[in-house]
Amino acid sequence: MEAVHSSQIMTHSRKPEGRLALPHQITILTWRNLVTIARTPEALLPPIAISIFFLVIYKSTLGKAAGFLPELSGGSYIGFILPLSIVSASLAGAGVAAQNLVRDVSNGYFDKLLLTPVSRTALLLAPILAGAVILGVQAAIVIAVGFLLGLDPATGLPGVLAVLALAVLLGTGFAGFTVSAALGSGSAAATQGASFVFFPLTFLTASFVPLDLLDGWLKTAARLNPITYVLEAMRALLNDGWDMSALAQGIAATLILAVAMYALAFYALRVRTRRA
Amino acid sequence: MSEREIVVESIVKKYPEVTAVDHVSFKVKAGEIFGFLGPNGAGKSTLVSILTTLRLPSAGRASVGGYDVVTQANEVRRIAGVALQEIGLDPLMRSMELLTIQGQLFGASRNDARRRAEELLDLVRLRDAADRRVGKYSGGMRRRLDLALALVHNPQVLFLDEPTTGLDPASRRDVWTEVRRLNRDLGMTIFLTTQYLEEADELADRIAIIDQGKLVAEGTPGDLKARVGGESINLVFADGSAAEKAAQRLDDMAERIQRDREMVRLYMPGAAGAVASVVRRLEDTQLEPLTLTLSQPTLDDVFLQVTGQRFAKEQPARSAV
Repeated sequence: MEAVHSSQIMTHSRKPEGRLALPHQITILTWRNLVTIARTPEALLPPIAISIFFLVIYKSTLGKAAGFLPELSGGSYIGFILPLSIVSASLAGAGVAAQNLVRDVSNGYFDKLLLTPVSRTALLLAPILAGAVILGVQAAIVIAVGFLLGLDPATGLPGVLAVLALAVLLGTGFAGFTVSAALGSGSAAATQGASFVFFPLTFLTASFVPLDLLDGWLKTAARLNPITYVLEAMRALLNDGWDMSALAQGIAATLILAVAMYALAFYALRVRTRRA
Repeated sequence: MSEREIVVESIVKKYPEVTAVDHVSFKVKAGEIFGFLGPNGAGKSTLVSILTTLRLPSAGRASVGGYDVVTQANEVRRIAGVALQEIGLDPLMRSMELLTIQGQLFGASRNDARRRAEELLDLVRLRDAADRRVGKYSGGMRRRLDLALALVHNPQVLFLDEPTTGLDPASRRDVWTEVRRLNRDLGMTIFLTTQYLEEADELADRIAIIDQGKLVAEGTPGDLKARVGGESINLVFADGSAAEKAAQRLDDMAERIQRDREMVRLYMPGAAGAVASVVRRLEDTQLEPLTLTLSQPTLDDVFLQVTGQRFAKEQPARSAV
């Protein structure tokens, strides 16, 4: 091999034809994710079944004893406990986004997509959006079961839609976390493990009684947990009416969570697709 | 300019533990099949991942089709088709769906992407399996689908990283036929890595041999073998005395001559080209050989000479190709 003294590399300045706009890329890839989710219904049923199971158990075991809750004067226990089920359904649903992504990473399809001129952002957002669709449907099913158990929302249909919107926002934010775990580990087991963070997140809150009735370390944990504010906002909508301050706190909590988790997800994506 | 060419200049890829690619330079001309040959772990896949923009080199420059693999990665992705050694297919999807999505991501409309997908399914003979999930495909079918996916955007340059590793001999032959056809009919430049000597020999117009990250030889298979020497014309005569007379008569033509009873072996570079003059010389003397055969050195001999060791302990059975 003779040494190359002057570089023979001359490069084009013009770009090859055919560019696909980012929204279009995201649509195509989100659709692909939804197709694969529809083909693995076995991954969808357990989270929704568990949410409904707990809802029925809470309602039948705690519902009759709920009279001691002073805050519930006028409100119903189902309106109080349903948000917990909605939140756990949407956090569990967020795991679906990560499961899809980790499957792509481990079977090599993710690399195949990296070889196309597709935007890296689309690769991240598509599974999250597909996850949002799924967890929206799951939260809606839980709410429907709530109606069967006697839910009578104080704010009517608009309030129920607001609850659903909060659930989707919360779940999509949390999906940022599970997706980070998928990108970081590339392993299905690790991703599944990381998704279980939703357990402490859901239960170190004002889960069963209002925040004011909590004491000690649990109260501190609940105060720091963004989920608490989401639960309070949902409860206010279902039992009390349009409490704008509770609603604003709930929205702020989901947005803070989402921003933090998306920063983490983009970092994980950078590491995964780093070419070094 | 440098349409369909690959230029590699002093590319280095260092990892904390090893230097996987060590100052490798070569050029692949437009429209040729270039075989990149080396034993397992020699650095072939690392180089492919650099040329296909999945990894950055530690040093050096490379361009594919006139686009820099570091600074113009998206442009390289547009004109290069890549079938990696690890087949990347989603088992839940159908081949028609995967091909259509891939086409759309390269900028084709849904209808154009569909039409192209159908063409490609015919090309790789998967039309009948188009609506079955990829998870149900055999290894050979997956490999063919992976090749089709690499072709959706009519690439100018096609990278095939060990396209036949793990395939049975019949499927391997199919891939060879396909590669030749793509090269001949579409003028596609093909960069192919392989750990099979006979695959490089069979398919490639030119070959580079890599060992422990370093390029150790480059040239056409014929040139490389000729450089090793050991090419010979073998003549068998009716008896030993005819052979001895022939050997004396031909003595000045060969670098080295060897007689073993009724057989005469003439060692010379360019043996094939010398057959006519050997035959003519023998006609003058009325010594007619019963058989005339040519012996070529193999790429294994080339590898032995440049690295001091045999290529690999286990090679698939040398089939008479």
